[in-house]
Amino acid sequence: MTPSLAVLSRCLAALLGGYALTYAVIAALARALPTDPVDAVIIASLPAFVVYTAAILWAFASRSALRAWVPVPVLGLPLALFAFWPQLLERLA
Amino acid sequence: MKQTFTQAMAWLHTWAGLIIGWLLFAVFLTGTLAVFDAEIDHWMQPEIHSTPVSQLDAAQRALSYLGDHHADAKSWGISLPTERSPGLTVSTGDRRSGTRVELDPASGAVIQPRETAGGSFFFRFHFTLNLPRTFGVWLVGGLALVMLATLVSGIIIHKKFFKEFFTFRPGKGQRSWLDFHNASAVLMLPFHFMIAYTGLVIFLLMYMPAAVDSLFKGDTQAYAKAAGNARQETPRGDGGRGQPALPANLTDLAPVFAEAEQRMGPLAGLTVLNPGTSAMRLQVRPVLGNRIELSKGLNMEFDGVSGKLLKDVTPSRASLLTQKVMAGLHFAQFGGYPLRWLYFVCGLLSCAMIASGLVLFCVKRRRKLADKPVHVQRWHRVAEVLNITSIAGLSIACVGLLWANRLLPVALEQRAGHETTLFFVLWTTSLVHASLLPTLQAWRQQLASAAVLCLLLPVLGLFGPGHDLQRLYLELAAVGIGLLLLVAIRRIDRKVAQAGSAAVNAKVLGAKS
Repeated sequence: MTPSLAVLSRCLAALLGGYALTYAVIAALARALPTDPVDAVIIASLPAFVVYTAAILWAFASRSALRAWVPVPVLGLPLALFAFWPQLLERLA
Repeated sequence: MKQTFTQAMAWLHTWAGLIIGWLLFAVFLTGTLAVFDAEIDHWMQPEIHSTPVSQLDAAQRALSYLGDHHADAKSWGISLPTERSPGLTVSTGDRRSGTRVELDPASGAVIQPRETAGGSFFFRFHFTLNLPRTFGVWLVGGLALVMLATLVSGIIIHKKFFKEFFTFRPGKGQRSWLDFHNASAVLMLPFHFMIAYTGLVIFLLMYMPAAVDSLFKGDTQAYAKAAGNARQETPRGDGGRGQPALPANLTDLAPVFAEAEQRMGPLAGLTVLNPGTSAMRLQVRPVLGNRIELSKGLNMEFDGVSGKLLKDVTPSRASLLTQKVMAGLHFAQFGGYPLRWLYFVCGLLSCAMIASGLVLFCVKRRRKLADKPVHVQRWHRVAEVLNITSIAGLSIACVGLLWANRLLPVALEQRAGHETTLFFVLWTTSLVHASLLPTLQAWRQQLASAAVLCLLLPVLGLFGPGHDLQRLYLELAAVGIGLLLLVAIRRIDRKVAQAGSAAVNAKVLGAKS
């Protein structure tokens, strides 16, 4: 991978991948919270930018430009599945 | 990019900081000015006088004007004179289709203040960069987010975080820039984090609707309804009891105001729904700064005929209150003028932190630049020009907006639009100027222009109506900023004197690189 392509990959992993990962984390956190849904929405969403910032740092700290993408499927997919499972079941039924 | 963790973070800090720095400085400078948006609004409408008049008297004058001229309107809106904005504004209908008239709070006479972009321009620019609203809000949100990442990476690379806490070595070129960048960043770190994070929290569910998507299937209406802050229906003209509305007189406002003030603190205005009929309702709203919680949309509703309380303020639930308090921390409305000045000074220091980081990027690379390939020199020049434009140029444009306000003809059509245009014309001129002149010369001339515009603002203020203490304070603050700019210019002069002796430097700093 050329250096500029590697930088582009990391930037995309940070901004787009980071958003997708944060989205999954927040959605799952809201689902997991045992509070009233109205409270869960706010409580789960408030730490969003901590998660996003961490994702950005990971994308630039990881050893290779491809590894920068690893957390998105590895962490994001199962969390998204957990968060949206009821909706998926509804869709299938 | 095969390197250690610290090196990776240094790379991120340098480049992310540079890319967002130019626009982030604009967000911070206009945000700092927006702390005093109402005061700037007032300065920019010198036809409005500040007169000591009770809100009750002002409200009576507003009501008699509305009764005479807009008796058949569906609703009346009244903005009462407050500590920050001494004007009295009446309006009918909604914001777009309705009319707005400015009254003299003391006499009730109609006054016609000049159209102006006002301090609200800085407020809007601060969170939209004057772009289409949604796009601008997302862009500024992106800047704030990358700022968070830049702050954290900055802490990681700043190894001697505590040891260098109080280190400052002035007059040592690059070393001083680094020291200043470190000191302003470290000492103000809580403020930097707080202001970036709370700024993002204001638009929390717009930026990150994940939780609404998973718990409410993306139905924001359903979420708003469940949260109990859904829009209330406007009462219809049948008095709510199926009877046609009959003509009726408004209740005595004094007890209504007293009750609302006791419950909510100082008041900002009221809305009269279905005026002059038996279905009349009064909505009274407080000024924003009575509590830390951002209390936008908070009001109490009274029956307009009997004066009976219909809807009391309901305290926000804990989760929502948390978000609103965070938003309130960003809006800085809650501590009166001492707090406004604190935020203003902190904001200026944030601006200085960003600016010194941008300058440091260039200063660090200047010395070795002569040995670098041509395309590197060309990019370096672009960075220098953008630094000058985004820092000095924007400062000129901001104070230039105040000058445009007094120099443009008062009766000009679309006056507010012309003021804004002049703001951008000045900013563009700065870009052209910076790309034509050698770097240090361009810095010097642009900072000097900004300083002169600031220092002469009181003179400009003399020409024109409306002199009061609030406007004088604004002009004195501008003089203070002008003096700070003079200090910056003196430093550059010293630098030029040094550079003059070193021929190598002169070659590097020239425009043709």
